[in-house]
Amino acid sequence: MTGSSTLGETEQAAIREAFADLERDVGVVLELGPAATPVTLLAAGGRELDSNAITRDVVTSVCGLADGVRLTVTEHDEPGPWPRTTIGPGLVYQGMPLGYELTTLVHAIVDAGRAEPTLSAASRERLDALEQDVAIDVFVTPT
Amino acid sequence: MLLAYRLALASPRIVARGIEASEFAVEAERHGVSAVPAIVVDDRFAWAGSVPEAVFVERVLAATA
Repeated sequence: MTGSSTLGETEQAAIREAFADLERDVGVVLELGPAATPVTLLAAGGRELDSNAITRDVVTSVCGLADGVRLTVTEHDEPGPWPRTTIGPGLVYQGMPLGYELTTLVHAIVDAGRAEPTLSAASRERLDALEQDVAIDVFVTPT
Repeated sequence: MLLAYRLALASPRIVARGIEASEFAVEAERHGVSAVPAIVVDDRFAWAGSVPEAVFVERVLAATA
């Protein structure tokens, strides 16, 4: 395991504790590249943010906190929906995983690393009724 | 967001994607997103706001019916 300058000691300890529940290895793929539709993102104070660099720092730091989390980083030359992080079998997040979405990233890795789904038996039974593929997009903000 | 991921882990028919609305503002605007979390099912706006697991599942099923 490696240390991290992006995450504080308290955050690192909490993430390591969460990753202790991993029951199997989890692959994480981070894709970086130019934005399809450039948007200027500003931090408090008006500083422009580099979403690729920030996402690389955060995702690399998080994945470095457990031996069972394997990170692959791909750099694209063509504009697209980057930064994009794909966890395990296809849990996708587009954007910088900051604030509450950092917690979501960690829990998504933990859930992907479980041997059994965490969804209730009743919900799994209802989903068995699906007869076609379904794409769910959830728009969020990092706070 | 985590609930959508849990549905995807429980069903091979479901894929789930989280999208940061301010970074992908054009995509958010295209779906009429004005509050978060906003849930889009099969490229159509479904609802906004957090709901319990059972409600989330039923709304996804209803959106695909």
